[in-house]
Amino acid sequence: MPRTLNLTARPSLWGLAFLRYLRSWWYMVHLGAVAMVMALSPSTYNRENRLSAARYIYASTWQVLPWFALASALISLVIIRIVLVTAKSYGLSHFALEMVVRVLVLESIPLSAAMFVALRASMAFDASALGLARAGMSPQAANDEALRRLRRDMVPQLLANSFGVLSMAMVTSTIVLLLAYVNVYGLSPWGVNDYTRTVGRVFSPAVTLGFVLKTVLFGLAVALIPTAAILELQRYPRRVNFTVQPGALRLLFVLLLIEAASLALKYI
Amino acid sequence: MTEPLPDEPKHVELKAMILLVSIGILVAAFIGYVMHARGVFEPTQRLVLETDDSSGVIPGMDMTFAGFPIGRVNQVELAPDGKVRILVDVQSKDAKWLRTSSVFTLESSIVGETRLRAYTGVLTDPPLPAGETRSVLRGDATAEIPRIVATARQLLENLETMTANESDINASLANINTLTGRMNGPGGVLGGVMGGDAEARKLREALDRVNSLLDKTERRVYGKEGVMDDAQAAVRQLNTVLQDASTTLKKVDAVLVEAQAVGANARVATEDLGALRGEVDASLRKVNRLVDEINRKWPFARSNQEIKLP
Repeated sequence: MPRTLNLTARPSLWGLAFLRYLRSWWYMVHLGAVAMVMALSPSTYNRENRLSAARYIYASTWQVLPWFALASALISLVIIRIVLVTAKSYGLSHFALEMVVRVLVLESIPLSAAMFVALRASMAFDASALGLARAGMSPQAANDEALRRLRRDMVPQLLANSFGVLSMAMVTSTIVLLLAYVNVYGLSPWGVNDYTRTVGRVFSPAVTLGFVLKTVLFGLAVALIPTAAILELQRYPRRVNFTVQPGALRLLFVLLLIEAASLALKYI
Repeated sequence: MTEPLPDEPKHVELKAMILLVSIGILVAAFIGYVMHARGVFEPTQRLVLETDDSSGVIPGMDMTFAGFPIGRVNQVELAPDGKVRILVDVQSKDAKWLRTSSVFTLESSIVGETRLRAYTGVLTDPPLPAGETRSVLRGDATAEIPRIVATARQLLENLETMTANESDINASLANINTLTGRMNGPGGVLGGVMGGDAEARKLREALDRVNSLLDKTERRVYGKEGVMDDAQAAVRQLNTVLQDASTTLKKVDAVLVEAQAVGANARVATEDLGALRGEVDASLRKVNRLVDEINRKWPFARSNQEIKLP
């Protein structure tokens, strides 16, 4: 009987399934801790790793930032208009700006940036394997080579993905703040003081700390979970389930968990 | 050296560095902007506002003067005496709007946030010192609702009592109805006021009698040979009598003047009589001395013969 049979089908194996589940989480957390320690130790930053990190930063941020910023700006513009028009029709226009800043800058943009980077990071494994296969390797050899690179480049990738989330969130937030200002006050400079006070009211110390912490945690989750899932699968090749991207569900779950926790801390 | 990726772009490291630096600058600028927006770099002075209810007051909310934000709530705390202390940081450049006579209000509306406002009536008063404690006036629209509802209910109950079938107002209206009915009757308004047509008729008769009485009185008093004519003749006679009396009095006056003159003459005569008597007295004394002289010189003085004066 193959070990990959669905364990939950037999109640006698539920304990085993739970243990395996816990071990999988533990593997991920352990890998994350090791990667963090490596990322924080100066000896990691040799010439080779720096170049590698630069490549990943280029791939995860430089290439996608303009398009992501443009798309986010367009969607945000629509949302800003909807919020402003609705608020004005109810006579609550002075609350609109605060709502726009809270909903877009604090909540939507970091989450969408994390999702966007996660898609790219999760695809990276298959994409690199595909590239190697095209270069004339056998599928098995290409897979092995991809895994080797993944293990070697784990720390640079972690850094690059975290940075990708942070930079997209920051750039898009700035654009959205500007768009919100222009939508509410037009191009006149006379609303700056009023606007600054509104932004100041929204970004209380707790909220700012939560925003930064959330963005950093999103970056870590996005960088770590798909890599950990792929490496774990490589350890247990017979558990491979080809229906979904490895680690995608767990990543979504963790992202939603972080978002929910942040909302709960801020508003409850 | 790592092996190059299949589509290795140019200047990867430089581009990555540019990204790192620009995002770093952006993050620093964002943090700086947020700190500026939170008023971290502005010099402030403390103002403590005291109230009995802190609902709606949150740290970070603005205090406005004439609609312009001049301060920010820093902290809300409960004092040992149970009062709420709202610590407000007022920007030093705007502190000039707060004077010793300034009034602070906390207004909460049904929809929307609570507003903390400052009002200064006399801008020439001395400026408010830093760290001053002031009480804040509360204007709470929602707090008024239960009272309004209670008053409205009472009002409705009163209205209900007033409009009930056996209410005073209904009785009054019924009375008014009866009254106006009577007024419409043959007695008219008088019937309504007097309480019936019979009473109104009596009053009318009484009025008629008074009228005829007045008519007679007029005839007897002001008519021909009436009382007034006699009175007029009497007055005329009285006038004549008075004129006679006046003439008589004038005569009496003249008599009195005469009498006065007689009196004056009598006084003069009396004075003359005195002088005459003196002279007579002097003559008598002289004659007396002459007789005594004769008596002494007379040879038969020793006789009892003596000249006797008459």
